[in-house]
Amino acid sequence: MSALDIEQIDGVPIAHVNEDIDVANATAIQQRLADALGPDALSLVVDLSATRYVDSAGVDMLLRLSDLLDHRRAKLILVIPETSQLKRLATIVGLPAAIAIQPSLTDAVQEVARAQAETTASHPDSAHEQPTGEQGRH
Amino acid sequence: MDAALGYMSLEDMLSELLERIRGALEVDTAAVLLLDEDRGVLVARAARGLEEEVRQGVQVPLARGFAGRVAAEARPIIIDLDHAEVVNPILRQKGIRSMLGVPIHVEGRVIGVMHIGTLVRRDFDENDVTLLQLAADRAALAIDNARVSEQRAVTEIMQRTLLPNALPSIPGMRFSAKYLPAGSGVKIGGDWYDVFQLANGCLAFVIGDVVGRGVLAASVMAEIRTALRAYLMQGHGLTKVVSMLNDLLVLMGRSRGATLAILELDPQAEEMEAVIAGHLPPLLIEPKGDARLLEQQHGLPVGVRTGHDYQAFRYPFPTGSRLLLYTDGLIERRGESIDASFERLTTAAQAAAQRADSSSSLADGVYRALLDETPLEDDVALLAIESVPLEDTLETTLSARPTVLSGLRKTLGRWLQVVGADEDELFDITLSTSEAAANAIEHAYGAREANFTVSCEHDGQQVTITVRDGGRWRTSRPPGGGRGLEIMRLLLDSVEISSDDEGTAVTMTKRLSHRA
Repeated sequence: MSALDIEQIDGVPIAHVNEDIDVANATAIQQRLADALGPDALSLVVDLSATRYVDSAGVDMLLRLSDLLDHRRAKLILVIPETSQLKRLATIVGLPAAIAIQPSLTDAVQEVARAQAETTASHPDSAHEQPTGEQGRH
Repeated sequence: MDAALGYMSLEDMLSELLERIRGALEVDTAAVLLLDEDRGVLVARAARGLEEEVRQGVQVPLARGFAGRVAAEARPIIIDLDHAEVVNPILRQKGIRSMLGVPIHVEGRVIGVMHIGTLVRRDFDENDVTLLQLAADRAALAIDNARVSEQRAVTEIMQRTLLPNALPSIPGMRFSAKYLPAGSGVKIGGDWYDVFQLANGCLAFVIGDVVGRGVLAASVMAEIRTALRAYLMQGHGLTKVVSMLNDLLVLMGRSRGATLAILELDPQAEEMEAVIAGHLPPLLIEPKGDARLLEQQHGLPVGVRTGHDYQAFRYPFPTGSRLLLYTDGLIERRGESIDASFERLTTAAQAAAQRADSSSSLADGVYRALLDETPLEDDVALLAIESVPLEDTLETTLSARPTVLSGLRKTLGRWLQVVGADEDELFDITLSTSEAAANAIEHAYGAREANFTVSCEHDGQQVTITVRDGGRWRTSRPPGGGRGLEIMRLLLDSVEISSDDEGTAVTMTKRLSHRA
């Protein structure tokens, strides 16, 4: 395990953050997360299950990342377990109003699938533009 | 040796000496080659009439060619170049016809070769041999002295750069260390220790031993130390770090293997993780005084074979625990079984742990008990780590750099556990203090090296924390650009900010529920 592990599940990049996010590393983490989103991916899941603290610089970073992904017409989904202290923090700073938060990785992956299905339903053409075999880009 | 030759560099001194030999023996060329023991070659260090030899860095393998034979056979040799094997083409190009070479000895070992040559055929006689050997013997001492002082200078620089110049100061932790290279001349070996804080706020400890001693072993040690720090700073886990180091060393073709033990301590979780690569087991002394060796499954020494998998093991490290990391020079004695050595170490460490106080460190105590009277046969490195109780009041001064925040959160978390904060309270107080500290660091940005202090007290019900930055800036900016202050106010009972010419102080309070 390293500080930030990135894997792909069904073509969706999942970033596991295994350390606190604070003013010391927020910018570097934002850069790596933005890079993790390939040119074709529609979603980025950031798993904060193993993260203990996120300070105000970290919260700002997540909001900036969300904006950045919006511009790229992609969606940021955070995984924060119900039992995590970060859940309380997210609520008091109003994070759920700006960023999708799911309690588990499974829930996050399901949300991605739903979003993709909706995109395909509303824009049938764009479905053909999505390359297949995305799993190959490990 | 003449006093006049005493202050010159080794090369200048040898050139001067060779010039005198050339005159006294009426020869055309004179040269000195010194043995590089690690590579088994003779390297031209000074020459007269053969300056190209030095400029081109001529190297002659031992036992080959003229100089190689003189060194390998350790006796004077006279040759006629018309009928001899010569490795060095310069000798032929120069048109040298006859040569005499003698070994340069120090304490019975050959350290080099001195040779002379003539452009016309000459039958060197016994007198020539005696004279040249005399010159070589007088040169030997000077060469050895110069080498020792050369190595000493390198050594001092390396030691200064290679060993942590100060052990970290962390509330609730006590560190002590000893580093003693064996031997009289060259004060450096392949042993080392290292202590530093990781990006995640945990502490890393390393002890290791590169095969061999002297500057070469030390330079491999330097490579290992740097690689370990770099890999750890990137946030890799211990097993990954040791595997990467192992592959790196094999890839670089380092013939010298190394043993090492590396540990990561989480001071808040009071738990540590250890990976051992062929090194002697660290000694853990539990709070009640029981001692045990961490005899976990060892991986191979690093630098031996690529693709080796290392395993990490976890150990509890509650307050009052002590850990000793050491190299073999501390415990191994000629003719003693390793079990007897461990036994002596354990007894000495337990006794020293009981006596250790502010005036005498654990490392000192262990070292004195085991080695004080014994001349060192091998290098010794020793690092002692002690987890000591935190005071009721926690006060710490930190450098104003963002990288100190993770460590501050660990220390504060440990203190809050002691004063009885529950999980929610611990989170709220720690995150808020981290915010206030981040703010103090931001103010110091651009200023020269600045510090800030964090003071924590409790009266049994309420925790009060003050973060003070001591810079001279005068400003009334809101901390955290808004959001940080908002978080602090939402998580705590009170947050007060006061600024004056001395700097800014943020005072925060939170009442503890003591539900836990």
